[in-house]
Amino acid sequence: MSNSVISVISRFLEEYTTKTSNKLKVVDAYLFYILLTGALQFLYCLLVGTFPFNSFLAGFILCVGAFILGVCLRIQINPDNKGDFLSISQERAFADFLLAHTVLHLVVINFIG
Amino acid sequence: MIYLYIIGVDMAQPRVFCLVLLTVALGAQALTPSHHLSLSDVDRLKGLLSQPFTDLASAYYSIVGLSKLGASVADENDACQFLKAQLDPMSVDSLFFAAEASQAIADCEMPVFNETRDILLAAVSEDSTVTQIFRAVSALSSLGLPLASQEVVAALVARIAKEDNVLAITTALQTATRLSQQAELGGILEEIEDLAARLDDLGGVYLQFEEGLEATALFVTAAYTLSDHADTEPPLKEDQVIQLVNSVFSKKSWDSRSEAFSVACAAAALSSNRFHVPVIVSTQGPATVSHSQPILHLLVTDILSNPLASANLLVESAQAVASKSVVLSQAPFSLRNGIFELNFMASQPASGYYQFTVAVTGDSRLVANQVELKVKVSTEVAVTNMDLSVVDKDQSIGTKTSRVDYPFKAKGSFTADSHQNFAMNFQLVDANTGVELTPHQTFVRFHNQKTGQEVVFVAEPDSKNLYKFELDTAERKSEFDSMSGTYVLHLIVGDATLENPILWNVADVVLKFLDEEAPAAIQSKTLYMPKPDIQHLFREPEKKPPTVVSNTFTALVLSPFLLLLILWFKLGANISNFSLSPSSVLFHVGHACMLGLMYVYWTHLNMFQTLKYLAIIGSLTFLAGNRMLAQKAVKRLASK
Repeated sequence: MSNSVISVISRFLEEYTTKTSNKLKVVDAYLFYILLTGALQFLYCLLVGTFPFNSFLAGFILCVGAFILGVCLRIQINPDNKGDFLSISQERAFADFLLAHTVLHLVVINFIG
Repeated sequence: MIYLYIIGVDMAQPRVFCLVLLTVALGAQALTPSHHLSLSDVDRLKGLLSQPFTDLASAYYSIVGLSKLGASVADENDACQFLKAQLDPMSVDSLFFAAEASQAIADCEMPVFNETRDILLAAVSEDSTVTQIFRAVSALSSLGLPLASQEVVAALVARIAKEDNVLAITTALQTATRLSQQAELGGILEEIEDLAARLDDLGGVYLQFEEGLEATALFVTAAYTLSDHADTEPPLKEDQVIQLVNSVFSKKSWDSRSEAFSVACAAAALSSNRFHVPVIVSTQGPATVSHSQPILHLLVTDILSNPLASANLLVESAQAVASKSVVLSQAPFSLRNGIFELNFMASQPASGYYQFTVAVTGDSRLVANQVELKVKVSTEVAVTNMDLSVVDKDQSIGTKTSRVDYPFKAKGSFTADSHQNFAMNFQLVDANTGVELTPHQTFVRFHNQKTGQEVVFVAEPDSKNLYKFELDTAERKSEFDSMSGTYVLHLIVGDATLENPILWNVADVVLKFLDEEAPAAIQSKTLYMPKPDIQHLFREPEKKPPTVVSNTFTALVLSPFLLLLILWFKLGANISNFSLSPSSVLFHVGHACMLGLMYVYWTHLNMFQTLKYLAIIGSLTFLAGNRMLAQKAVKRLASK
C-alpha cells in the first residue's frame, strides 16, 4: 500500500519537474508561498485565539483569495489549456489577475481594521 | 352614569334651599338636561338684573328681564319716572327701550308725540338695519300705534338677504312676533330652521352658536315666541331642545345685564310656550332608601325650578343593578306638598343599587320626560356566629373554640405558634331581613401595639356565604417580619350600602414565630435613604496575547516570503526581460503606488478618499499596463 503511494508521489514529482514549464513553476512557487502564509495564520489563530477576529479574517481571506486568483492565472496561461481560453491571451490573464487583486486588497484592507 | 350633588334639605323653609343636580348620560333613552336654573340660580339672575340702572338700555334689560322671571323692580314708580325723564323722543332706540320697559310696569304710560309715529315709521324700510326695524316695530306696537305688517315683512325679507348673520336673523324673528297674525310670516318662519342648522353641536350635549351664549338664548326666545305667535310648532327636535337648554343654562354667573336678560327671556320662553316644555326630575336629598327612611322623594320642575302643575310621575321599571331582576314596574308616585313620593321599601328590595326609569306624564308639551336615576337601598349589617379557634396543624380539631358576641371582646387571648393556625369563622347578615350579605370590605387587622406593625388580611366567604379566615403562622411570618408578640385583632366590615360599618376589636392574639430576625424597624428606615452609588464599569478590553508570542508569529508568517524568493531564484526567474519603455516604468510605478495607497488606506484614509486616489492611480496604471502588455504580446507573437 505505502509502496504504491510512494511510487505515485515520486512519479508525480518526476513528471512535474520535467514536464512543467518554468513559467508555471514560478506561479506554483507563488502559490506555495501563499498557502504557507495562510496556513501559518490559521495556526496562530488556533494556538493563541481569535483576537482580533477581524484582522484574522482579513488576512486569511486575503490568502485564500490570492491563492484562488493565482490558480486561475495558472490555468489560463497553461498552454495545454489554450483550447479552453481562445479569447484570453496571456497578457489578458495577467491583467485580470492584477485587477482582481486590486479589488481584493481594497476589501481586505478595509476589513483589517 | 349619574352624579348626585347634594347640598341642603328642607323645602319647608324657603331660606335654606335644596340644590340637587342630576345628570344622566345617553342611555337607551333620549337626552335629558344636564343643566337648568335652580332656585338659587334664579335668585342670582334676579339679583344681577335688580342692580341699579343708569341709562335706558340697562333699565330696559332690568325691568323687562325681571318681569319675565315673574319679579319686578324694587320701586316701580321710580323706574317709571326714570323712563320718562330719560326718554329722547327723536331717537328710535330711546323710544324702543322706554316703550318696552313701560309695558312691563303697571300703570306706566309713555307720552306719545306727533312726530313719534313718523319717526318710527320712517325707520321701517329696507335702508335701516334689522335692529332698527325691530326697535321701531316694537315701539310702535308697545305704544299702541298702527303699523303696516306687510311692509315690515317686505323690509325684513330684504334686510335678511343683506345681513346674513345670526343676530340679524334672530332680531328679524323677534320683529315678526309683533306683527299681525294675518301677515305672511311663512318666509320668516322658515328662517328658524335655517338658523337651527347653523348651531354647533358640542359632543352631542351642547348646541350653541359660535357667537356665544347671548345669541343662542336670543334665538331660543325668538323661535318659541314666534312659533307661539304663528301657532306653528318650531322645527326643533327633542334632542336639539335639550342641547339648547344645556347650552343656555350651563353658565351660572353672567357677565353683563344684556346676557342675563337674554337668559331670563330664554328661560321664560322655554317654561311657558305652547309646544316644548323641558322637564327636570331631581331627587330631594340623597337617592337612598332604607328601613328608617323608606320613602323616595322626587321633584318635578321646569327649567326655572317651578313645580309643574299638571304632572304625574310614574316608575316605569326599577331594576336591580347586580341581578338585573325587575323589582317594580308601572308604579305611580303620590304627590304630597309638591313633592312626589314612593315607598320603595314596601317592595322589600334587597340592599344594593337599583336603576329606576321614571316617566313624567300629564302634558303633551313635555320634553325629556323619561329619566333614569340610580337609587341606593342601604341596610344595616350584623355579625353573627363569630367563632375563634386555634387549630393544630397535625390534627384539624380545634383545641380551643370560643364564641364572641358583637360588640364584646373575647375574654382570654389566643396563642398560636408555628405549629398552629389561628382560625376565625363568622357570618354577616342583614340586620333587618336576616339575609346573608357579602359586603365589599371584610378585613381582619392585626396590630402590634409595641412595634406599631399593622398587618391586614381579607376574609373571604365560601359558597354558603360563611366567612372564614385562617392564619397560618409559619407561612405568614414574612408579613409579620417574624415579630412575636401580642397582636390586637380587629374585624373591619364596610360597604357603600351599609349604614353601620363595623370596626370591632375581637380579641388579642399572641403569635410566636421561630427564628426571630433583627428588628424590622431598621428596614423601613433605610428604605428612603440614598442608595449606594453605582459605578459605571467600562467595557474591559479583551485579553491580548503577550507581545513575544505575536512578534514570533509575525516573523513566522513573513518567512514564507523569503522561501518564495529563494524558490524563484532557484527556478531562474529574473527580470532580464524588463524593457525600460515608459509605459512599463509607469505601470510598475503606478502599481507600487497602488500598494502604497493600500497601506495609507489602512493607516489614515477612509474608503471614499481611497477610492478617489485609487481611481486616479488605477486609471494611469491601467493605461500604462495595457500598453505594456500589448507590447509584450506583440513581442511574444513575433518571437514565435
